[in-house]
Formats: sequence, C-alpha cells, structure tokens
Amino acid sequence: MHKPNEIEKEEKAMATLVELTSVFEGIASMRISQIRNQVLIATKFFHELWHIYSQIRVDEKFHFGRSQPQLDIIDKELFIIITAEGGFSGDIDQRLVEVMLKSYDNSKNDVVVVGHHGAVQLAQRGVTFKKYFKLPTNDQSINVTPMTEEVRKYKSTQVFYQEYVSLLVQETRQIPLSAAVKERGAKSSAADELISESNYIFEPSAHAVVDHLENSMMQITLAQVILESKLAQYASRFRAMSAAHEKSEETRTDLHLAYNRARRGVKDERLKEIVNGMRKSGVSV
Amino acid sequence: MSDKTAQEIIDSTKQKEEIKLKGATPMMHVKVYAPFKTYFDGMAESISAVNDTGPFDILPQHHNFMTLLNPCEVIVRTGKTDERLQINKGVMHVKADQVIVFLDV
Repeated sequence: MHKPNEIEKEEKAMATLVELTSVFEGIASMRISQIRNQVLIATKFFHELWHIYSQIRVDEKFHFGRSQPQLDIIDKELFIIITAEGGFSGDIDQRLVEVMLKSYDNSKNDVVVVGHHGAVQLAQRGVTFKKYFKLPTNDQSINVTPMTEEVRKYKSTQVFYQEYVSLLVQETRQIPLSAAVKERGAKSSAADELISESNYIFEPSAHAVVDHLENSMMQITLAQVILESKLAQYASRFRAMSAAHEKSEETRTDLHLAYNRARRGVKDERLKEIVNGMRKSGVSV
Repeated sequence: MSDKTAQEIIDSTKQKEEIKLKGATPMMHVKVYAPFKTYFDGMAESISAVNDTGPFDILPQHHNFMTLLNPCEVIVRTGKTDERLQINKGVMHVKADQVIVFLDV
C-alpha cells in the first residue's frame, strides 16, 4: 500500500491534469464558436459571388480559372489533404490519411499536405508528398494562393478534409475540388438574369472577369474547406479533452479515497501500537 | 425578370423622383467586403478605385459595370465622410445603383 503523502502527491498531479484538460476543453469550445461564425460569413460572401458568376458563366463546366487552354497541364490527379498542425486532435487525422491511401496510386497522384500532423502521418507510412503547407493560424485571412497555383497545374484535384457534423461527430470527406465549388454554388439563389457584354461593361474583358471569379471561388472554397477542417479538429480535440477530463476527474476521486483510506490505516496502526504499548506497561484499557 | 427585381426598380425610381423633388444629392448603396469582414455597407454619393484602364469614379445611375480592381485606395464618399480603404485586389459589380466590391478575391 502507498503511503498517504505519496498518494497526496499523485492526487495533486492529477488535479493539475484535471485543470489542464478543462482549460483545453474551454479553448476548443471557444474556437469552435469563433470558427463556426467565420464559416457562416464566408459562406454568405461565396453565395453572393457565385450568384454573379452564375449569370455570366459561359458553360456548365468549372475551368479552375483557366478558360484559355494551357500546354503544361500535368496528367495526374492532385490530392490535397488537410490535417491538424499538432496532436491533441484525437484519431481524425489517422482516419483521413487511411481514406486517402485507399485511393492513392503513386503513378497517378501527387500529394499536397496541409498541417504538420498529416505530414508526419504520411512520412510514417512511406508516402512522399510534393508540397507541405502549414495549417493557417489566422482564420480571417487564409492565403491559399500557393495552393491554387498547384491546383492549376493539374488535370484534376481531390480534396481530403474533415467535416464538422456536430460536437460529437466529425467525418472524413473526399471530394473533387470542382464539385466542392459547385456544391457550395448549388446552395445559392438561382441566377435571375443573363450578364453579357450587351448589357454590361466589362473591364478588362468578360473572359478575364470569369477567370478571375473562378479562381476566387476556388480560393474561397479551399479556405472554407480549411476552416471546416479546423472546426472538425477543434471538435475532435474538444471530445478528446472532455474524455480526458472525465477520466482524470475519476482518477482524482479514486486517489482521494485511497488517500483517506491510507491515512485512516496509518491512524489505526498508531492506535494499535499505543494500545499494545499500554497493555504491555500494565495500564488497563 | 423576377418580381423582386421589378419591385426594386419601382422603389429605385420613386427614390430618384423624391431626390429630384427635394433637390438632394443622388445616392447609391455601396457594400465593400471581404470573405471574413465587411468594411462598408451603406449609402454613398460616389466610389473611386483603380483598374487596368486607370482611376475611375462610380456615381449613381452608372451603367451596369463589372471590373477587376488593381492595388489601390478605394474611396467611398458618403457626403459626410470619406471612407478610405487600401486594397490589394478585388472585383467591383455595379447594377441599378447597387455597388458591391468583393475584396481579397
């Protein structure tokens, strides 16, 4: 049996853990509410832009902002995987990497990874990636230009990310980038008139504006996907921290009981020694 | 054309007639915003920016217009104050006295 002072030390350490997990839980909860708000604002912005774009679009195809054909398109599919920057986010990154590896073929795909945790996971599985980007820390200005430059070089792009369903449920998702843009656009209100050079003045030209809008919407979609992933990561972290908090609280309660029991044991032992001593010295008890 | 748009045109025409009667300065609705922040949303007398052609101003009753903006200072004149915003890039859409400037896109 441990001595009471040893158990007391353990209990104090556990109390620190309880406080820490509670703080992490609180931070995750606060970030979730902030990011959800950002996602809503960005969605509104995207819908307004899509509404204009859908009126001037020349065909149903999304051109990734390159309506003019380019000669140096890489005949491969680009995989973009968005993971957490660090640990503490449960098992969601491992699940996402597993999903990506099911479709991955070294000769047909190149990988761009966002987030250090994902880069480590891929390296551990012997998968080489073409580029690594840090997960943006600032939620209000996510610069995805270097990523979209990569996207434009490839024939097509698949995005692997984490979707926030609820505080308790986060899912892994795989979607072609053009479909992700269209999926968001489908939620916008329908185009109410046709915008053409006959009823609008375009500067520099209608094609340049369409290209620019496609590029912009691709960037906003990527930024939104990154934000959604962050949201899911924080929710996953919240879940992990809640479980850790509950577990540490239980352990602290158990340690406190063990401490009381040990102290009572020590007192009983002392009392026994006193009684035995008194018996030996002939004092009636 | 949808009913809502038709209603908007009627409202806008009424507003213009009222302005003429009162002799007040014509105004238009201007919204300047980025994916995560709104910089200006209200009535203004004019808005100035720079595109490939050079500096330009948009006044009420401007023709439908869509342009890519160059890095510049966007000035929104409300009649009382001048709102100045330094931008890197953006898209401006003008239609029926409604000006929307999408920044950082």
